[in-house]
Amino acid sequence: MVETAGAALEAIGIVKRFGTLVAVDGVDLELARGEIHALCGENGAGKSTLARILAGALAPSAGRVASDGPVGLVHQHFELVDRLRVWENVVLGREPRRGLRLDAAAARERVRSLAREYALDVDPDAVVESLPVGIAQRVEILRELAREPSTLVLDEPTAVLAPREIDALFATLRSLAARGAAIMVITHKLQEVISHANRVTVMRGGRVVLRAATAETSLDAIARAMVGGDVPALATRRAVTPHAAFAARDLRAGDGAHALRGASFEVRGGEIVGIAGVEGNGQSALCDAIAGVVPYAGEMTLDGEPLRGNPGARTAAGVRTIPQDRQREALVLPWSIARNVALGDHTRPPLRRGWSLDRQACDALATEIVRRFDVRAASIRTSVAALSGGNQQKVVVGRALAHEPRVVIAYQPTRGIDVGAASLVQSRLIEARNAGAAVLLVSFELDELLAVADRILVLYRGAIAGEFAREGFDRARIGALMAGAA
Amino acid sequence: MAELLDFFQLALVKATPLIFAALAGVICERSGILNIALEGGLTVGAFTGAAVSFETGNPLLGLIAGMLAGALLCGLLGVAATRFGVDQIVAGIGLNMLAAGATAFAVVVLFGAPGATPEVHALGSAGETALIAVAVVAALALQLGFDRTPWGLRLRACGENPQAVLSAGLDPRRIRVLATLAGGAIAGLGGVFLSLGELDLYSDGMTAGRGFIALAAVIFGRWTPLGAAGAALAFGALSALQFVLQRSGVPSELMQALPYLAALAALTGIVGKARAPAADGVSL
Amino acid sequence: MSRRNAAIFAAVLLAIAAGAMALAGANPLAGFAALLRGALGGERQLSETLVQTTALLFPSLAVAFAFRAGLFNIGAEGQLIVGGLFAGLAGAALVAPGWIAIPVILLAGAAGGAFWGGIAGALRARFGGNEVIATLMLNIVAALLANYLVVGPFHAPAATGPETAELPVSSWLPVLIPGTRLTISLLLALALAGALSFMFARTVFGYALQAAGEAPQAAARAGIDLRRTALVALTLSGAIAGFGGATLVAGVLHRFNVALSPGYGFIAIAVALVGGLDPLWIVLAAFAFGILQSGSLTMQALAHVPKDVVGFVEGLAILGLSARRIANPREESA
Repeated sequence: MVETAGAALEAIGIVKRFGTLVAVDGVDLELARGEIHALCGENGAGKSTLARILAGALAPSAGRVASDGPVGLVHQHFELVDRLRVWENVVLGREPRRGLRLDAAAARERVRSLAREYALDVDPDAVVESLPVGIAQRVEILRELAREPSTLVLDEPTAVLAPREIDALFATLRSLAARGAAIMVITHKLQEVISHANRVTVMRGGRVVLRAATAETSLDAIARAMVGGDVPALATRRAVTPHAAFAARDLRAGDGAHALRGASFEVRGGEIVGIAGVEGNGQSALCDAIAGVVPYAGEMTLDGEPLRGNPGARTAAGVRTIPQDRQREALVLPWSIARNVALGDHTRPPLRRGWSLDRQACDALATEIVRRFDVRAASIRTSVAALSGGNQQKVVVGRALAHEPRVVIAYQPTRGIDVGAASLVQSRLIEARNAGAAVLLVSFELDELLAVADRILVLYRGAIAGEFAREGFDRARIGALMAGAA
Repeated sequence: MAELLDFFQLALVKATPLIFAALAGVICERSGILNIALEGGLTVGAFTGAAVSFETGNPLLGLIAGMLAGALLCGLLGVAATRFGVDQIVAGIGLNMLAAGATAFAVVVLFGAPGATPEVHALGSAGETALIAVAVVAALALQLGFDRTPWGLRLRACGENPQAVLSAGLDPRRIRVLATLAGGAIAGLGGVFLSLGELDLYSDGMTAGRGFIALAAVIFGRWTPLGAAGAALAFGALSALQFVLQRSGVPSELMQALPYLAALAALTGIVGKARAPAADGVSL
Repeated sequence: MSRRNAAIFAAVLLAIAAGAMALAGANPLAGFAALLRGALGGERQLSETLVQTTALLFPSLAVAFAFRAGLFNIGAEGQLIVGGLFAGLAGAALVAPGWIAIPVILLAGAAGGAFWGGIAGALRARFGGNEVIATLMLNIVAALLANYLVVGPFHAPAATGPETAELPVSSWLPVLIPGTRLTISLLLALALAGALSFMFARTVFGYALQAAGEAPQAAARAGIDLRRTALVALTLSGAIAGFGGATLVAGVLHRFNVALSPGYGFIAIAVALVGGLDPLWIVLAAFAFGILQSGSLTMQALAHVPKDVVGFVEGLAILGLSARRIANPREESA
C-alpha cells in the first residue's frame, strides 16, 4: 500500500534489466491523486518500460511499486482486436455472463454507461478496424476505465491525434484527474507538457534527471535534460531556385478510410515539401503510389516525362523512398550493413557486375554511408539487427540519399529515433535539397515540418486541404486544416 | 432412392474423420496456432485407440486413449510454439514424421509384424453411428461456443491479437496451449473413428493425408466450425463418389485423387477470399 | 545454433534413439554398431551409403532452395516421382547413343519436377494459395498419377510389377566404382551443391531470392517481384528434385517404378534443416542421413531394431530444429 498521503502510486528503486541491457536504472517516482504528470525522455530512455512496470504488465528486476488501486495503461500502439467489436474489446477478460453464455446486452450497456460517465462517445457495436484512430483510442481508454483505476498511464497518446482531438483528450484527462485519479502521460511533445501537465519527470539513460513542477521550469530546460546537452543545429538551407521535377495529378490510391482521393501537387527540385496531417489521412497511400508499390489512378511525371512502372523502374529513374517501417519495409535484418546497402540497386551497375554483386563496390558504398551518417556499428559486416533504431534508420536514409536521387520520399524519417540521430537525418535531407533533389517529407510532427520544409501541404481525408509557403507558415491555421476545418 | 441413401451414409462415414480433424484445425488456428500436425493427431489417435482396445478388450477405453494421444501430440506443438517460439509449420512437419515413425515402430514392437495390427474390438456400427452424430453435434456446439461464450471470445481475440489479450489481463499462451490440447483430442477422436469405427484395426498410413485435406477444409470453411465441417462433408462426399463410380470405367486413381484435387482447387480462392486469423502462425 | 547446443541436441536424439531400441527389446549398443557397420563396414557398404546420400542430396537441395526464398516446399517427394516418371518414359522410348540419351533423360526428369513444382508455384503466385497445402496435396496426386500410368498405359509388357520398360544399357548412368550402384550422379549432386552455394553468396539472382525470403516487404519495395519469385523458386526447386528422381531412374533402378523413393522427399526436409539451409553443410548432413538410411536395414536384420526408429528420430530432429526461424510470416489468402 502507498505510504505517502495523497499518493495514488509510488515506485521505489525500480530497476529493469533485459540481459545485459539496463533499461531502467534505479527510478523513484510518486504520482499524486488529482495530478497530470508528464514523463519525458528520448526513445530508449526507458519510459515505456517504466510505464509497463508501473501498470503491473512487466515485473521489475528490483524495486517495488505500491498503488492505491488498479493501474490502467493505454498503449502507444493500441492493443485492441481489430476484427472484434467495441463492446467485445472493452469487456475482454471481464465478460458479463448469463450461465455459460456471454451476456452481450449487458456488455453493450456497460460500454454505453462508461461512455456517458466519461464523455467518450463510441458506438458499442462498431468493429474496431472501421474506426478512425482517434475513436479507436477512446475504446482503449474505456477498456482501462472499466477497471476503475486509481491511476491511468497513457503512452504517447497524442501521436495519432489532430490538434483538436488532443485538446479533447486533455479535457477528458483533466476531468478524470478532478475525480481523484492520478494521470501519467508519456510524451515527447514538450509544448503539451507545459500546457497541460502539473509536474514533469525527465528520464535519460534509464535514470531520472529532472523533476519539476511545470510552472517552475521551461521548455528549453526540459529539452536540455532530455538530450543531456544542446540539441545539434540543423544544416543551413541554401537559397536555391527550385526547378520542375515531380508532379502528380488527381492521384488516387488505396480504399476505405485511409485512401488517397485525388491529390494534385508538385514537388520541385531544390525544395522540401512537407505533408502535414494526422496519421491515417492518406499519407501511406500517397507514398506507396509514388513508390509504385500499390496500384493507383491518376498521373505522375518526373522532369516532364510520365513516371510509370514498378518500384524497380522508379528507383532506377531516381525516385528513392524512406519507408515508414524500417525493420519490415527497408532492411533485411539478418544481413550485414554492406549487404543491405545494395537492396534496390542490386540489378544495376555500379553495384552489379554481370551476374554477381560487386562486393568491393558494396563495401565502398557502405563505408561511405557509415562515415557520412555517423552510423555507430562495429563494422560494415555487422548485422543490421544489432544496430539501434537510430542507426538502422541512418543506414536506410543513407542508402536512399546515395546515387544522387532526383526525388526523395521520406515517410516519418525521424520516427522513434533519438534527437541526435533525428537532427542528423533532417540535416542530410536539407543537404539533398540544397543539391537539387525534390524532397517530399511526410511527418506527423508539425514542429518538424515547420523547421525543415519550404512548403507545407495539408492532407485531410485523402485530399490536399491547403498549401502554405514558408513565409506564411501559420501553426494554428495548419492545425485547423489538419482537423478538417474549412 | 436406396442408392442415394447409401451414398449419403457413405459420405457421412467418409466425412466424419475429416470433420473431426477440421474442427481441430479451426480451434487451433483461431487461437493463433497453425497446426499442420493434424495428420499426426489422426495417426496417433487411430493407433493408440486400436492398441489400447487390443490390450484391454474395451473399445471405449481405446477411444479415450486415442483422444489423449492426439491431445498429447498437438499439445506438444502448442507448447513448442508458445514457450519456444518455434516455426509452427516446421514443427508440425516434424510432429507428423515423428507420429508416423513412432506408430510404425510401435506396431512392430507391440504386435510383432510390421504394417498393421490384428483385428481389435471395435465400436460396432452403433458406435460408429454415435461418433458420426458426435461430429455433427460438435460442429454446432463449437460454433455456438465461438460466438456466444466468453471463452470463445477470448480464443478469437488470441488468434487476432495476443497482445490485446495480454493487456486485458489474460494469458494468451495458456489459451493457445489449451486450444491445441482440445484440438488434438478432437483430432485423436477422428483417428479413433478410422481404426475403431469405420474399421477394426490400425494399419500404417491409414490416415492417407486426411489431416491435410482437413487443412484445406478449414480454409474453404473460412476458419469457422460450421464452415469447416461443411467443407469436410463436401470432401467426404467426393470420397464416397469414388466408390459409386468405381464400376464406371473411370480410373480408380483419378477418383481417389478427387478430394486432393478439390483441395488444390480450394486454394485458388474459388470459394471467395477470406482472411485467416491475423496472428495465425505467429509465435509470441 | 551454437556448437554447444548442437552437441546437446545430438546427444538427446541419440539417447532417445537408444531408449526406443531398448523398448524394442534390442541392445542399443548392438543397434548402433549394426547401423554403422551396415553403412560403413566395407567398400560395398560405403558405396551404398553414398548412393543413399546422393538420393537424399537432390531433394534436400531442392527443399533448401525453396526455404531460402521463403517458401515451404513439402512436395519434393511428389516432384521427385514425377521427375522419375518423365525420365523413365523418356528413357524407355528414346533410341539414341548414351551421350545424347542420358542428358535428355536427366533433363526430362528436371522438366517433370519443374512442372510439378510449378503447379504449386502458380497457385501461390497467381492466387496466393498456401504452398504447404498445395505441395502436400500434389505429393499424393503424384503417387496416384504414377500408379495409374505404370499399371495402365505405360506398363512395361514384360514386367511383373508396376513399372515402365527397362532403359537400354547405353542409357544407364556410368558407374563410379565397378560392381556397385554408385554412379556419376554423386558428382552431379556435389556440383549442384557447389553451384547453389555460389549462387546464394554472389549472384544477383540469389540476392533477390533471399531478400524475398527474409524480408518480403523490403524486397518488394526494392523492385523484387514477389509473385514471380515464388513461381520461379518453386519451379526450380521442383526441377532439382525431379532431376534427382531422374538419377534414381537412370542410375539405380534403370526403370521407373512406384517404389522409387522410400520417402526421400520427406527426409530431405530434415536434411535441409540439419544442414542449416546451406548447400555445403547439406552435403555433410545428407551423408549423415545416408548412413541412417543404408545402415538401418542392417540394423533391422542383425540387431532386430525396427527401421522405423529412424523415421521417428528424424521427426524429432525436425521438431527440435523448428526453433530456427525459417521464413517470415507472410500475407496469405485462401
